[in-house]
Amino acid sequence: MAEAVLFYLFAAGVLAGGSQVVLRRNPIYGAVSLVGCFFFLAGIYVLLSAHLIAILQVLVYAGAVMVLFVFVIMLLNLKEEELGELRFTFWKVVGLVAVLATAAVIAWRALGPAYPSTGPARDNAILLAAEGFGGVKAVGRTLYLAAVLPFELTSLLLLVAIVAAVVVAKGKI
Amino acid sequence: MNFNPGDLYGVLPALLLAAGALVLLTSEVFLRPVEPDRRYQAWVAAAFAFAGLWASLAQLGDPAQPLFAGAAVSDGFAHIVAAVVCAALFLSCIVAFSYLESLRATRGEFYALALFSASGMCLLAQATDLVVIFISLEVMSLAVYALCAYLRRGKRPAEAAFKYFILGSFASAIFLYGAAFAFGASGSTRLADLAATVRSGSATTLVYASAALLAAGFAFKVAAVPFHMWVPDVYDGAPAPVTGFMAAGVKAAAFATLVRILVSGYGEGGRWRGLIVALAYLTMLVGNLLAVPQRSVKRMLAYSSIAHAGYLLVAVAAMGTSAPRADAAGALLFYLASYGATVIGAFAVVAIIERKLALSGLGDDLSSWAGLSEKHPALAAAMSLFMISLAGVPPTAGFMAKLTVFRSAIEADLVPLAIFGVITSVAGLYYYLRVVVYVYMVPEAKADAVQGGRLLSAGLAIAGCALIVLWMGVLPGSFAALAQSGAAVFGR
Amino acid sequence: MRALDYLSPYLPVLILLLFAGVLCALIGAAATFLGPKRITAIKETAFECGSPSIGDSHSRHSVKFYLVALLFVVFDVESVFIYPWGSLLRDFQAEGLGWFAYVEMLSFMATLALGLVYVWRKGALEWNP
Repeated sequence: MAEAVLFYLFAAGVLAGGSQVVLRRNPIYGAVSLVGCFFFLAGIYVLLSAHLIAILQVLVYAGAVMVLFVFVIMLLNLKEEELGELRFTFWKVVGLVAVLATAAVIAWRALGPAYPSTGPARDNAILLAAEGFGGVKAVGRTLYLAAVLPFELTSLLLLVAIVAAVVVAKGKI
Repeated sequence: MNFNPGDLYGVLPALLLAAGALVLLTSEVFLRPVEPDRRYQAWVAAAFAFAGLWASLAQLGDPAQPLFAGAAVSDGFAHIVAAVVCAALFLSCIVAFSYLESLRATRGEFYALALFSASGMCLLAQATDLVVIFISLEVMSLAVYALCAYLRRGKRPAEAAFKYFILGSFASAIFLYGAAFAFGASGSTRLADLAATVRSGSATTLVYASAALLAAGFAFKVAAVPFHMWVPDVYDGAPAPVTGFMAAGVKAAAFATLVRILVSGYGEGGRWRGLIVALAYLTMLVGNLLAVPQRSVKRMLAYSSIAHAGYLLVAVAAMGTSAPRADAAGALLFYLASYGATVIGAFAVVAIIERKLALSGLGDDLSSWAGLSEKHPALAAAMSLFMISLAGVPPTAGFMAKLTVFRSAIEADLVPLAIFGVITSVAGLYYYLRVVVYVYMVPEAKADAVQGGRLLSAGLAIAGCALIVLWMGVLPGSFAALAQSGAAVFGR
Repeated sequence: MRALDYLSPYLPVLILLLFAGVLCALIGAAATFLGPKRITAIKETAFECGSPSIGDSHSRHSVKFYLVALLFVVFDVESVFIYPWGSLLRDFQAEGLGWFAYVEMLSFMATLALGLVYVWRKGALEWNP
């Protein structure tokens, strides 16, 4: 019961933060809402016993990635008049309805039947959490032993990201 | 631990390409103060691409085997796709050499990024695990985004790269959403485990929601119709050699992965076929219709690339039935190879013209192609050959490719789809032949020749593409046999 | 009582949060009620490292800040991948996987070290463009 209450609390926070990111006209407010959204998301990860991911969510996303976002906002430095009005055009309304309908159908038809609210899943989760599931060592074992190829590929991906960033953003190469 | 050093041999083409990229990056930063001339880099890159081509063809005879405990696979299908990617990279490097030289933009990052993206493409064709698919997809995409923005002159390359990046990230997010659902349904990211879940028939709606989302993510990459908005601007804004490489390589890798996910992951039941059939109808219709009013050859080729995605989707849809799956897979591989050779050749010609336009400050319009046959008869003949190959007229590769694809569709009881494909191809004749008309029949307005000098390497690449296009059109036997041997893994 | 089982490990976290919140409130309240307030004109001006502030603070920043931030994020993510390895290496050694883990991480780091060398030699870390 208690974790259900916490879950709905965190989920409401995620949704509120996320919708603020989309709806706020001033990008700085959007960025700060996104930080809030990330913190609530970290709370949900904790409820799932994914502790390492929760900490990384705060350190990397709310910390480092947000720095990047704020940098971009400062770079663009949009003036109040450049931000424009928040308008509801026809296609935006259509898009909103489509997104909500898709989310509702997925939740109702796909996720609902696949994850009944009662059952052995929860007991299983408690047992796994007791064994250190989601901790640094458990995640590390999966990362270094079971996922050798994706792990090494990640280094390639990061290298490509470095080169691409320099090629695109550096003034004089 | 699931690592066996022998597994590295299975991903040899990707390893070679990545090693080439690392060598180029190292040489770029360490040789720079000593040696300002960086023309060698194109040839180093081409050599590594050729090595990758050789490796993937050499592995063709090997029996199919899983690598890294099922995270990837080494089979004929992947090897053929890797061969197409490496050949596309090889030709593109040669085209890019003369293009970048004449714009004085030769830098090592260009070839390094091209090699990185090709390495991602080869791995994408081999991946059988959603995590590996995602990371390879991003390796490929990030490098291609940067290549699009490579010239950094004016607004259009930046706009192209930005659009591609934003929409591409969105597509990746949709793919990840689908991957999360697939994981939720099967408890694993391996396609084989997903297939087992599909076979057991549990969590059906979740499974099909994940199939739709994963397919949507890749429909973006292959430029299928509801997800095609980025294509014209990106193809138009990117440097022409990059566009050719993108059209050939990204398409091949993305189609290979789409097939892998749908057939290996969701193969049983084949309920995804309806989805692909609908996409194919839409893509063929919209791609061909929107290509008709284009005056810019690059934009026309962009819409034509959408239309060709539609024909390729016909082959994918034909794999939805169990009977002639290997035939359809062979048709897909043959089509990918023929489209790759044609489109790289076409964009190589566009690169030469575009360079002239960039130097003279004119916009890309059909009228700047007028009278090409008088100044450069060989170039005009090659462009006409590529156009009629794209249109699907014999005796070219495009004709044989369309023939095999439509035949496989008819074998798979998709007769209306095949008929629709034939009708739209006939409609496509109009805009392809218009280029030929301008090249041969419209008299030239301005008398400025394309600058010679460094045309030689691009000319060699164009000649190579033209040779392949004719060879695949006249004597398709050996290529078809290769494609069939690659498709044998889907034989059932 | 299973709900308690699941969430009881987080009780210290809750206590810490409560303690932090109460402490903040206390200090803030103490400063508000106990501290004297003498507002002068000079105190009302913006304080920027002691020098008088000039112009609008909303000036456009150079794109090189962005490149530095981007590179920071990339290497930050890299450190995330190294951290669990550090805490697991002794276990791996005990299981006879020490060399495997060592070589695995070595190749990961070598690739990224090349990235660092690239960035360095390209001058992307230099302050002048």
